[in-house]
Amino acid sequence: MNGESRLAKYASLFEEIRARDIMKTPVTTLPPDKKISHAKEMMRIKRFSGLPVVDDERRLLGIITVEDIINALEFGRIDEPIQELMTRKVVAVDVDERLRDIVRKFEEFRYGRFPVVNSENVLQGIISRTDILDGVLEKFDLIYIHDRKRISALESDYSFIPGDKPSDDKADFHYSISTNDIDSAGVGAAILKQFLADRKFPADIARRAGVAVYEAEANVIIHSHSAGDIFCYLHDDMVLIRVVDKGVGIENIELAMMGGYSTASDYVRERGFGAGMGIPNMKRFVDKLAIISEKNGGTQVEMIFYLPEQRT
Amino acid sequence: MILREAARILEAEILSGEGKLDAEVTYCGAADMMSDILALCRPNQLVLTGYIYPQVIRTALISELLGLVVVRGKSIPPETVEFARQNNFLLMRTKNFMFTACGKLREAGLKGVDER
Repeated sequence: MNGESRLAKYASLFEEIRARDIMKTPVTTLPPDKKISHAKEMMRIKRFSGLPVVDDERRLLGIITVEDIINALEFGRIDEPIQELMTRKVVAVDVDERLRDIVRKFEEFRYGRFPVVNSENVLQGIISRTDILDGVLEKFDLIYIHDRKRISALESDYSFIPGDKPSDDKADFHYSISTNDIDSAGVGAAILKQFLADRKFPADIARRAGVAVYEAEANVIIHSHSAGDIFCYLHDDMVLIRVVDKGVGIENIELAMMGGYSTASDYVRERGFGAGMGIPNMKRFVDKLAIISEKNGGTQVEMIFYLPEQRT
Repeated sequence: MILREAARILEAEILSGEGKLDAEVTYCGAADMMSDILALCRPNQLVLTGYIYPQVIRTALISELLGLVVVRGKSIPPETVEFARQNNFLLMRTKNFMFTACGKLREAGLKGVDER
């Protein structure tokens, strides 16, 4: 399959990605009246190759790049104010611009990044090529990461928990899914929900976690042909839940993603499962979801529920 | 309306959780698949179902439903009723078919979760 048709195939998946979904915030900015030497330092420390210049209301005035800095150094203008040398004709992206149009801008203008502005030209974020890649991967990631290598290959802290994979024995909660009896699907989810409720987590989070884990647990029982585990890790700002199995993996992700598709047996359907809504349901109830699966390589579902700032 | 009123409209038999009948109900749904019940998931909602196995109680508890009404007068396994009782969960049974039961409750003012 050539690149074009592959892109077309997934186009609908990415159709709804807007600039606001993939832009990075907050943006490091510079005021127009500071010296270029200051911009140089900022770029050195932050390792950016370009920074937007904004006024007091964060309206976008221009952008200053490594190239501008080199010019300033060459012509001995390093102590002049930024506004003297910044690029004023900035190509910006609107917050609601679609991924397709953003990609086109990258191709057309060959800039490394685009500032993102709203209709009042107020800076909202910034998009680099990496953010596009991240945005696209994240879209897949919501559903599927086929290959673990892809995670480590990404320089960004792509894994939910930066650093090492959370270790199983450090989990705050563990439940073994050791049955293939569909009638006991949801037992682990119910215990986990109670566990969260007992620890005074917000009712809304306990409920959403219960529903999402229920679906994941049912998937292990119905589809994995193996035992599995539910792990829960409590953090100050979030609840991370992993539902893992060493089973057969997801063979056809495109179909599994599609609401209404299921490979469940008639018996399972009779028992009220196999509606093909497991993954779509999970997506609805989590703040962040990644499913890592390979054929015969097991399936690992990671869910994140962000906590409100203050927990009572 | 309160659940007792919904039960009256459906001429429903209360199998467990009688103490819950005075709770207020605004939203109602109907589903046979567990995933659909989970997807409806709005706390404090009544759900009509044709599903009779204990699993439906677990699903309802996780979804924090107010209660379940089994339609078409189906015979419900004792384990299901027992599981509901253990959790003091409101389980009812009506002789009405699904469509009729839905229609009656909607006519009486209950809303679907997709309605404002």
